[in-house]
Amino acid sequence: MSINIIQAIILGLFASLSSMPGLGGTSIGNYTLGRPLVGGLICGIVLGDIPTGILVGCAMQVVYIALVTPGGTVSADVRAVSYIGIPLAMIALKSYGLDPASAEGTALATSFGTMVGTIGTVLFYGTATMNLVWQHMGWAWVDKREYDKLPLVDYVFPWISHICFSLIPTVAMCMAGEPVVNLIKEKLPMDGIPMKTLFTVGALLPCVGIAILLKQIVRNVLDFIPYLFGFTLAASMGLNLVASTVVAGLFAILIFKLKMLELRKPAAASSGAAVDNGWDDDEEDI
Amino acid sequence: MAEKKLSKKALNSGFHRWYYGNLTCFSQEHMQTFGYLCSMLPLCKELYADDPDKMAESMDTYRTFFNTEPQLGAIIVGVTAGLEEARANGAEDVDSETINGLRAGLMGPIAGIGDSLVVGTVIPILLGIAMGMSGGGSPMGAIFYIIVWNLFAYFGMRFLYFKGYDMGTKAVEFLVGDIGNAIREAVTTLGGIVIGAVSASWISVKTSFALYNEAGEAYMVLQEKFDSVFPGLLTAIFVIFCWWLMAKKQLSPLKVMGLLVVIAFVGVLVGFFNPGLAY
Repeated sequence: MSINIIQAIILGLFASLSSMPGLGGTSIGNYTLGRPLVGGLICGIVLGDIPTGILVGCAMQVVYIALVTPGGTVSADVRAVSYIGIPLAMIALKSYGLDPASAEGTALATSFGTMVGTIGTVLFYGTATMNLVWQHMGWAWVDKREYDKLPLVDYVFPWISHICFSLIPTVAMCMAGEPVVNLIKEKLPMDGIPMKTLFTVGALLPCVGIAILLKQIVRNVLDFIPYLFGFTLAASMGLNLVASTVVAGLFAILIFKLKMLELRKPAAASSGAAVDNGWDDDEEDI
Repeated sequence: MAEKKLSKKALNSGFHRWYYGNLTCFSQEHMQTFGYLCSMLPLCKELYADDPDKMAESMDTYRTFFNTEPQLGAIIVGVTAGLEEARANGAEDVDSETINGLRAGLMGPIAGIGDSLVVGTVIPILLGIAMGMSGGGSPMGAIFYIIVWNLFAYFGMRFLYFKGYDMGTKAVEFLVGDIGNAIREAVTTLGGIVIGAVSASWISVKTSFALYNEAGEAYMVLQEKFDSVFPGLLTAIFVIFCWWLMAKKQLSPLKVMGLLVVIAFVGVLVGFFNPGLAY
């Protein structure tokens, strides 16, 4: 598998659309095209191997399942993860002859993609810094009351930043990636310590992604119970993710109803006597 | 003078500019400020078509720094659209200061709720389901996510924007009020369970450590011992270990990743980890 210049340019355009200040907007760009799962589909279509693309995308998605903002919680950049990391990981898998659905395939894809994603943070700072130039022009126009030119600042000029910091780097790294992958394969045998470490790191990295998400959910130790419950559904009871979500949905409804009851309680208590009668009736029934 | 009323067309244009352009010209210094300016532009142009000085006063209001979670933030943009209309009609208690006070007061809480609800819960749940539909490399899951998320985001933001315009700050009370809290708690639990299932399905931390007898047969395979306690125990331990490092020891994710590289290297050296590959 190799990437030609046209394929690399298409990937570069998607990188421009999907990055954090991306030109697809946040909903379509960053939160749709930027997610590695969707990136996997697109890379799969562009490179002509959808199943591999999806499986690599899924592997990478676990690492980046939480909030991904460069300079924020995760130092990574989704355009680099999805449109440089995934294609290179696909090439690496083909080159090593690994099955992308296997644990080893997932581990290799994850470590390749995460490395690239971390380096990609540079692209984020590049784009954001270049946008300062357009914003500077924008403020001048606001001062001169030339408001009709403002949309240029928000919708048109950022393309220049993205050609410099999304398109060109993506094309360059995708084109240069294949020889580098082959070089690594030649120099580092798979049963040597460096590659064994790389595979092991790939298996461990998704734990960080999940942990970042847990950091938002878990306030005290008891909050781990829903997480471990979901873990048990899949690991011990063998439910797939869609089935697990249905079970989870039932608990969500129960909690919502309980919370709403809790809200109604103070209101009911204030209307004293009626509530007492209600309780008495219940006891007689028992 | 006739009461000024924003046309549906101007409001739609304002909404779509926010929906698309909230972060397109991002910089560390101004973040969503230009997205906000461009979203208010069609509204101000309609309200102050005949008065360039008032137009300038109004646009200057939105020069102030703004940054929040863009999806839920649509409600703030909607609220200011309503306030701007009131100001154009000469409401005395609405001036640049009240509008900016409101924007500054709301952007923090809305960002907090939005980050944990939208990016931290809804998107991971949808991705979790989508990954469940991606078995064997099927594109079904990705297509499911693209459709469901985008419908949710577009119509959700549209609803919030127009609710904000119609109801003003009352609309925000719904988000931060008791019912909003109940919904959030329910959705967070749903998210927690789904994320647990995602971890068990997609992460596989295994040890290759075993003890052998003289005949070379393994009599103690550590992975089997772990799994007999709780299937996937090692994976769960590593996730909770990473959580502990970040939440309790305040390590950054990048440092945790670095630590995992060290653990992997040492683990491989002592034979705890071994992917068992060769060519």
